[in-house]
Amino acid sequence: MSSSGKVSPPNVRFIRLMCTGRIDPEFVMKGFQSGADGVVILGCHPGDCHYKEGNYNTLRRVYLLRRMLSQFGIEEKRLWLEWISACETDKFVDTLHDMVREIKALGPLNKGITHDVGRY
Amino acid sequence: MKVRVGVYICSCGTNISEKLDLSELSRYSSSLNDVAYVKIHNLLCSEEGRNFLIHDVMHQKPDRVIIAACSPREHEKTFRNVLQRAGVNPFLFQMVNLREQVAWVTADKTQAGEKARCYVRAAVKRVALHEPLEIQEIDCNTDVLVIGAGVAGMEAALTLAQSGRRVCLVEKNSFVGGKVILYEDVSPTMECSSCMLQPKMDEILHHENIELLTCSEIQEVLGFVGNFTVRIEKKAGFVDKSKCVGCGACYEQCPITTKNEFNSNLSDRKAIDLPFAGALPNVPVIDRKTCLRFHGQDCTICKQACHFDAIDYDDRDEFLERNVGGIIVATGFELFDPSALPRFGYGKIPEVYTSLEFERILSQNGPTGGKLLMKNAGEPKSLAIIHCVGSRDKGVKDYCSGVCCLYAVKFAHMVKKRSPAVKVYDLYADWCVPGKDNQSFLDSIREWKNFRVIRTSLPMNVITKQSKERINLSCTDVSGKRKKISVDMVVLCPAMIPAKNSNMLSEILSISQGKDGFFSEGHKTLAPVSTTIEGIFIAGCAQSPKDIQGSIAQGAAAAGQILSMLVPGRKLELHAMTAEINGDACSGCMICVGLCPYKAIVFDRAKGVAVVNTILCKGCGTCVAACPSGSAKSKHFTTEQVCAEIEEILQ
Repeated sequence: MSSSGKVSPPNVRFIRLMCTGRIDPEFVMKGFQSGADGVVILGCHPGDCHYKEGNYNTLRRVYLLRRMLSQFGIEEKRLWLEWISACETDKFVDTLHDMVREIKALGPLNKGITHDVGRY
Repeated sequence: MKVRVGVYICSCGTNISEKLDLSELSRYSSSLNDVAYVKIHNLLCSEEGRNFLIHDVMHQKPDRVIIAACSPREHEKTFRNVLQRAGVNPFLFQMVNLREQVAWVTADKTQAGEKARCYVRAAVKRVALHEPLEIQEIDCNTDVLVIGAGVAGMEAALTLAQSGRRVCLVEKNSFVGGKVILYEDVSPTMECSSCMLQPKMDEILHHENIELLTCSEIQEVLGFVGNFTVRIEKKAGFVDKSKCVGCGACYEQCPITTKNEFNSNLSDRKAIDLPFAGALPNVPVIDRKTCLRFHGQDCTICKQACHFDAIDYDDRDEFLERNVGGIIVATGFELFDPSALPRFGYGKIPEVYTSLEFERILSQNGPTGGKLLMKNAGEPKSLAIIHCVGSRDKGVKDYCSGVCCLYAVKFAHMVKKRSPAVKVYDLYADWCVPGKDNQSFLDSIREWKNFRVIRTSLPMNVITKQSKERINLSCTDVSGKRKKISVDMVVLCPAMIPAKNSNMLSEILSISQGKDGFFSEGHKTLAPVSTTIEGIFIAGCAQSPKDIQGSIAQGAAAAGQILSMLVPGRKLELHAMTAEINGDACSGCMICVGLCPYKAIVFDRAKGVAVVNTILCKGCGTCVAACPSGSAKSKHFTTEQVCAEIEEILQ
């Protein structure tokens, strides 16, 4: 990131996982429950998955997860999925800025989900 | 359980400390539950820093360690090794990325401080839940499978064999030497190709460490680095290699004549034949498509003609199994089929050839015995070479194959030598002849008065039309002028594309391909012969179009990688961060079995539960995220650990 001289939004926090394939829908729900106003899943481009096909599974899970989010009263637009390779610094930073802008436009998430989401 | 967490903060020279108040961060960290002590160091990754860590950890004896420094991509391994040496399990450790994720990308110091506190807090919560993991070691096989006996594959096989490794070299054709053996001369030295390759091919055939399997293809590959099991289909050739002396009596007598595909169908061959004179191994094979015996007749002419009883009609296709530790894929290239672009006339106008066909025409063991002749056996008076056919063209192949300009120059040199009166028109867009010897090779042909160039723009806008005996070419040159020429013969330089069956091989080996079908490198710049699968390497045109020199360099490079990766007597370390399935909780739904990209999960029918093979598992966690009963667990990325991190980071 320093190589592109860009600054990423200060209000973004990262959770490292081995592969987007590890992303349990529970992690996303936990994020919203714990106070995130938006969640973005960042993974390798389709066909470039380091673990072969984890990102395809993620893609399918995200479609389902968005439907579930709306049932919880969370706007679907709060969950992003972007394919960004390790060398696409500009895309990475730009995506985060775009996302922060759009989530700010939506406003803070209505803290409706106070109960433990747990395993569904 | 109460744990004692030791936190080490690195200022990375001033990289981190100029954006973050580290003493403030240290005070904050000390106040967190479980944190026993916090230390700040100027450069933890330096030798002095690592020694400090070892001594301090041995002295303080923390249960868990946090190092707040740079990206784990940079130094996680370094610090894991340090902890190992200090007697702490390297997985009871968490790294906080203060440099790439905080100091370098946050403009405001207050915001940076807040961010850093979040990350440290989350790491403290997470690391308390870490479990010690053991790194298992297994024996490895140091034999190697090389797929493709072209120049890259031969180089790899020889390099390995010469250092004492056993190599199984699998080739789909009945001969070795790949495409290069089909050429007469190579550029820019104009050295005879078969003379150049002869010693190498001879060594391939006779090296005691090389098992050469011709007419063979890979059917299945199971396993992982150090322990691959390969299933190979070896097609019957119906001639016993140990008896055949290559005298040719069989094909002289064979009554069936058919087109010779190795001469681009420009000449004939028999149903039992060698593809071309000088092909090695010098053993003919029977072609099932044309031999009378495979069409209901009981012809035995070749068997009767053979003085050595080498013809064996009972020969059958075989399935062979070989165990190897590493695999090199050197499957080479083919040419893009120009008939897909009708404006070039290929396939419709008889005297339009691809470069590979033209190589055969110029070759002494080719259809015309090396004479420049047309199909009507007449000598052409003029000839056009068209560059960039289907390449550097967004609608077809957008890349430059990198070798066509040079072989176009070679063709001109060869035509000049054979028939100095022939006019050669070269229709190009740019000259691409990098390298220390190539520019002078181009310059010398440009001095020849019969060498005329027309520079056009991309994509190649040449239109080819048959007009009685001749071929009319029209195009617009770079200055916008319409150009028309009339020639007897046209040679196209089509894009190089991956070898047929690359898609199938990519599936069998689980290695990925780029958008044009060439196999993808482990890293485009730093790991050009690796793939994303450990133990599988690529070399030559299977990776990308390239010249002979480049292919040979990659063949040697891939062999070198294997020599350093698989060393006799050395064990291979397995991944510690694998998945694990709790048999007591598993409901036996088998969702994970189908999802696992490494076929690492098997279903134990007796117990009705899924079981992870930790040797094959790479720890991606796809099965864990999908398990509906929560019985699958990602070691080091457990749901509890990740959720604790998420909760704390968002507090």
